[in-house]
Amino acid sequence: MSVAAAEPFVRRPFLDASRPILWGCAALLCALIVLPVSWLLVFGFSNPAGAFTFENFRLLATDPSFLEPMVTTLIIAVSSSALCCAIAAPMGWLVARTDVPLGRTIRALVTASFVTPPFLGAIAWELLAAPNSGLLNQAYRALTGAPQDDALFNIYSLGGLIFVIATYTFPYVFVLVANALERIPGELEDASAILGGRIWYTARRVMIPLALPALLAGALIAFLQAMTLFGSPAILALPSGFHTMTTKIWSLFQYPPKPELAAAAALPLLVLTVVLLRTQRGLLGRRGYTVVGGKFGRPRRIRLGALKWAALAACLAVLCLPVFLPYFALFNAAFSPSASTLISPSTMTLQNVQFTFELSTTKVALKNTFILGTLAATLGTGLALVIGYITARRAVAGHRVLAFLATAPIAIPGIVLGVGLFLVYARPPFQLYGTLWILLIAYITIELPAAYQQMQSAFRSVHPELEDASRILGATRLQALGHVTAPLLRTSVIATWCFIFVSVIRELSAAIMLFTSETKVVSVLIFDLKESGDLGAIAVLGLAMLLITFAVVIFANRIPGFGVGRMRAA
Amino acid sequence: MTKRNPTRRDVLGGTAALAAATVFAAPARAEAPAAASVTPTLIEAARKEGKVVWYTSVDLPVAERVAKAFEAKYSGISVRVERSGAERVFQRVGQEYKSNIHAVDVVQSSDAAHFIVWKRDGILAPFVPEDVAKHFPPEHKDPDGMFATWRAWLSVIGYNTKQVKAEEAPKSFADLLDPKWTGKIVKAHPGYSGTILTATYQMSRDLGWEYFEKLAKQRIMQVQSSADPPKKLALGERAVMADGNEYNMFRIKESGGPVEIVYPTEGAPLIVGPNAIFKAAPNPNAARLLQSYMFSAEGQQINVDIGGLRSVHPGVKEKPGRRPFAEIKKMKDDPVAVEKQSDEIKAHYTRIFKV
Amino acid sequence: MSSVELRGLTKRFGDRHGGAVAVDGISLRIDHGKLICLLGPSGCGKTTTLRLIAGFIEPTAGEIFVGSRMVSSSGHALPPEQRNMSMIFQSYALWPHMTVAENVAYGLRLRKLDRETIKTKLAAILATTRLAELADRYPGELSGGQQQRVGLARALVVEPETLLLDEPLSNLDANLREEMRFEVRRLHDAYRYTTIYVTHDQAEAMTASDLIAVMNAGRIEQAGTPEEIYLRPRTEFVARFIGGSNILRGRNVGGDRADFAGIALRCDGAKLAASGETAVSIRPHDIRLSTAAPDASCENVVRATVVRQVFLGGSRDYMVEAPDGTQLRVIAPAEQSIPPGAAVWLHLPPERCRALAE
Repeated sequence: MSVAAAEPFVRRPFLDASRPILWGCAALLCALIVLPVSWLLVFGFSNPAGAFTFENFRLLATDPSFLEPMVTTLIIAVSSSALCCAIAAPMGWLVARTDVPLGRTIRALVTASFVTPPFLGAIAWELLAAPNSGLLNQAYRALTGAPQDDALFNIYSLGGLIFVIATYTFPYVFVLVANALERIPGELEDASAILGGRIWYTARRVMIPLALPALLAGALIAFLQAMTLFGSPAILALPSGFHTMTTKIWSLFQYPPKPELAAAAALPLLVLTVVLLRTQRGLLGRRGYTVVGGKFGRPRRIRLGALKWAALAACLAVLCLPVFLPYFALFNAAFSPSASTLISPSTMTLQNVQFTFELSTTKVALKNTFILGTLAATLGTGLALVIGYITARRAVAGHRVLAFLATAPIAIPGIVLGVGLFLVYARPPFQLYGTLWILLIAYITIELPAAYQQMQSAFRSVHPELEDASRILGATRLQALGHVTAPLLRTSVIATWCFIFVSVIRELSAAIMLFTSETKVVSVLIFDLKESGDLGAIAVLGLAMLLITFAVVIFANRIPGFGVGRMRAA
Repeated sequence: MTKRNPTRRDVLGGTAALAAATVFAAPARAEAPAAASVTPTLIEAARKEGKVVWYTSVDLPVAERVAKAFEAKYSGISVRVERSGAERVFQRVGQEYKSNIHAVDVVQSSDAAHFIVWKRDGILAPFVPEDVAKHFPPEHKDPDGMFATWRAWLSVIGYNTKQVKAEEAPKSFADLLDPKWTGKIVKAHPGYSGTILTATYQMSRDLGWEYFEKLAKQRIMQVQSSADPPKKLALGERAVMADGNEYNMFRIKESGGPVEIVYPTEGAPLIVGPNAIFKAAPNPNAARLLQSYMFSAEGQQINVDIGGLRSVHPGVKEKPGRRPFAEIKKMKDDPVAVEKQSDEIKAHYTRIFKV
Repeated sequence: MSSVELRGLTKRFGDRHGGAVAVDGISLRIDHGKLICLLGPSGCGKTTTLRLIAGFIEPTAGEIFVGSRMVSSSGHALPPEQRNMSMIFQSYALWPHMTVAENVAYGLRLRKLDRETIKTKLAAILATTRLAELADRYPGELSGGQQQRVGLARALVVEPETLLLDEPLSNLDANLREEMRFEVRRLHDAYRYTTIYVTHDQAEAMTASDLIAVMNAGRIEQAGTPEEIYLRPRTEFVARFIGGSNILRGRNVGGDRADFAGIALRCDGAKLAASGETAVSIRPHDIRLSTAAPDASCENVVRATVVRQVFLGGSRDYMVEAPDGTQLRVIAPAEQSIPPGAAVWLHLPPERCRALAE
């Protein structure tokens, strides 16, 4: 049977808006990321007159006032990363593989330390461990009768800074290790046990090697965090008399500003970050560490017996460091007339609270923070949603480039991005300096990678056939997205929104470069107050910040998923 | 625009009047602008604007008190205080003006040299409040009416009375070099604080940079604002401060804090803090009203009573319990020199103290 | 008139040179109202072909026609929503946030039908698929069989021209699968669309389809009715895949005979290759097994020894070894039990010895 001459198919004449939207997002991403980085390069290689030069880098490599901070930064990064691993790995193992009691509580407390801004933690640790006025040192002297000048801890030292940084970066390692260990099936331990291996032997020979990639990945992230933090070094290093790379870059922007040197100093940080991230991806990509085989059972919980209480005590002791002690110190400073004296029911006072909320800048800062947080969260989630869809469903050619760009900002340290954005947008044709827009751009750029990764894994959990089923029945791509995918992603979308909101509140390193008096945010306000020594006000604002953050996080975790109870695998 | 040289330099003496800073040099014109009094029209216009933005480096509680007093007197006008170290304030004003952002109405800085630069750049507006015209000594007001001394104070040595006995306390800058003070000293930074920049200039001139090199070996605790060392003393964090605001010390001491001032025998660096209005101020009338208030006897009295500051308004009484200004040995201030050497001073300091 | 036609359809994944070829030059004509089955092992390209027809992927080469319209060619493809087809997915793809009724009515709503019509059609299809009481449940609350019926109802209610089914029964247990096989055929007969059914289960294919296309490595090995495929397989793959077979190899010794284990086997089917060996297929239950020699008039008689025997209840499964070492599987009636080691005669009826083309 022959077929009549084929007619070319006729497209329905309506506009399918899918393509332009998708391309628009791609263009936006490029602008967000490529612009600041390219300006950094331009400035790094120019002198103040605008001519091309290597002078900036020559200065970086030879001037001790640059070399010393670089060395210091490396020492800090390596030490705190090692410290993180030493603490987080055993804790992760305890929570994931043993029957240590209160495992969920421990996890929740680790999340609490995740959520605490590192600079606030640094301030709180100042209150605790300043050699003379610190609460812990006072307690030590009171208990042991040591003389006035003796101190158990001196937070104003390289060691002190390493300690504080490690305290607030260990959650990264913990989460990665705990998750990896949880995925290792129980049969592996059984196999080792049957062959005669005892708990510790199995742990050493089976668990540790399998968890090694996650541990190394976590160590790398901790290293990167430590290298690129601004707030903690600014608070602890300067009184101690040394600079880190981030504080040095910031100081180059003080009057008279030397943006060329700042850009040149920022570039090594950027390069190092990129290199380390590639290494990490290479590590995690090695197939040899994935578990090969058939069906798996749940992980076995190792019985610790009587040791479990000791283990719990150890975990809680560790969690004193990022959570219990600092929060207490802040609470003390907020409601006590003097931050170095312990409050008592008779001396408790609200004068700090009053002072803080009567400050004319407080209202502005709170308003700005709220506006920026909401805008950044909404726009950022939307962007992550669209880009997540494009890459998960491979909707346009070049989606791989998009995926790369969406995660690229991880490689740009906050302060470097701040410098880059300042260079791009504080001049014609943009002139965004002094507006909330430049801060908004910074926040979205910084938070996009994490938001995108969350959205991407959410998309992966929605079977593409659900969308196909919708399309074959007559829906366009966008309609399928709206009818099917979006409702199923509702919880993820809300969770991502909350995540961005919380992250924006605590961001300091980019904001410190880009704010003006009208566009101040709470984190910058706290930093300013620190420079004039107003500890009471800092504590009040810090507690307010933590309260808002926790409220949002708890809300995000309790969202009743629509039809979630019925959404068992269909 | 060419830079004019000072034609006159006052010599500090033990006179009742405060010594002048040479920022107040000979006039460019024969006459200063007319004195402006506070008229109902001005108040009305200010109320219409509704707010005024004040960048200042005076310690935050003092600034807020002044602001609140103004708001209480002139209801309907809110004051936004933007407080940071004087060197930061200067940098921010520079950055904002470069990007054509005119957010600030009134500016106060503890680095008098800033006003030389701003006047030279032509961004200040002439305005002479009635009190300034009638009462202020000529050494403390700009002949062109661009600014006047809003406050004056000293950078002093201090100690925590719980940790240090009065007899053992240091009496001079030289005393601070004694090994018994190693690791016990707190000090502020000239890169942030105008007070400290001015003080560092005066000390480096009178005592030489070798003094700072020796001081650096004392393992000092480096803070930023000159308001911080007194607070660190009160906290008990350090026993002795090498520099810091006299007025913060007064405030803490008078509210029962365990601190005591020492006026160094070599002379205490003198700091003068002018106040001015910007030409491109977004709220010019409110700015003028605030300026008038701050220079009035009422405003200046607040500075003294609550702020612990010194005033050049003759109608203002010093608070009993404080050493009278005239009796204190002071170093000479020289804002013109500070303006010329500002960058070099900061760089030199950074080289010596490493931060 | 053909309803769906594939011409030289090819799909290559990866880059131009050296990507994996999933579908390799398939040509097929499906008449209107027929149920055709794409049958083959996993990886043979049947699901890719189905998705090409649905429009989820574009062909690298070749064309797809629906009626007289060309819907796919390399470089242009009508999107799935414009093809007026329906599909049932292997995972059922029921939307977990919608009730059964909402799932089924989705397609009708997209077509902007009025409320009354939707209600009527919905009630009808739910009755047909026996889902009326479950209309307000969510997919997560249903059993596998019920979910499968929802998928069926959802696909059928829009009255498509073409119905595509992607291994719809593979997630069900054996009993349910049997029942659903008949159900699918019954509904097809009732509504009479063109149905393209993808499966790896030959029982399904044999039961339900009008036409079977056996696929292997991206090509169609043989397309025909179930009887043709079974009784007259044309290639070794088809012979083995459908019904299982013994494959003998022999050289041509003239006159339709292939040489095997010392005898000249008379064969049917394709022409024997002139030189070299030809594969000959004979099904296990077509071989006659006896302990006594059959009479001399029988052709294709071979001696063999029993290697092992398994009692299956209704029959016995023998493995016998011919003199040249070839092992053959024979299925014989259960009554006679011949022990291992015994000598037997095999009669291979010529009409059941199929010579295979390749």
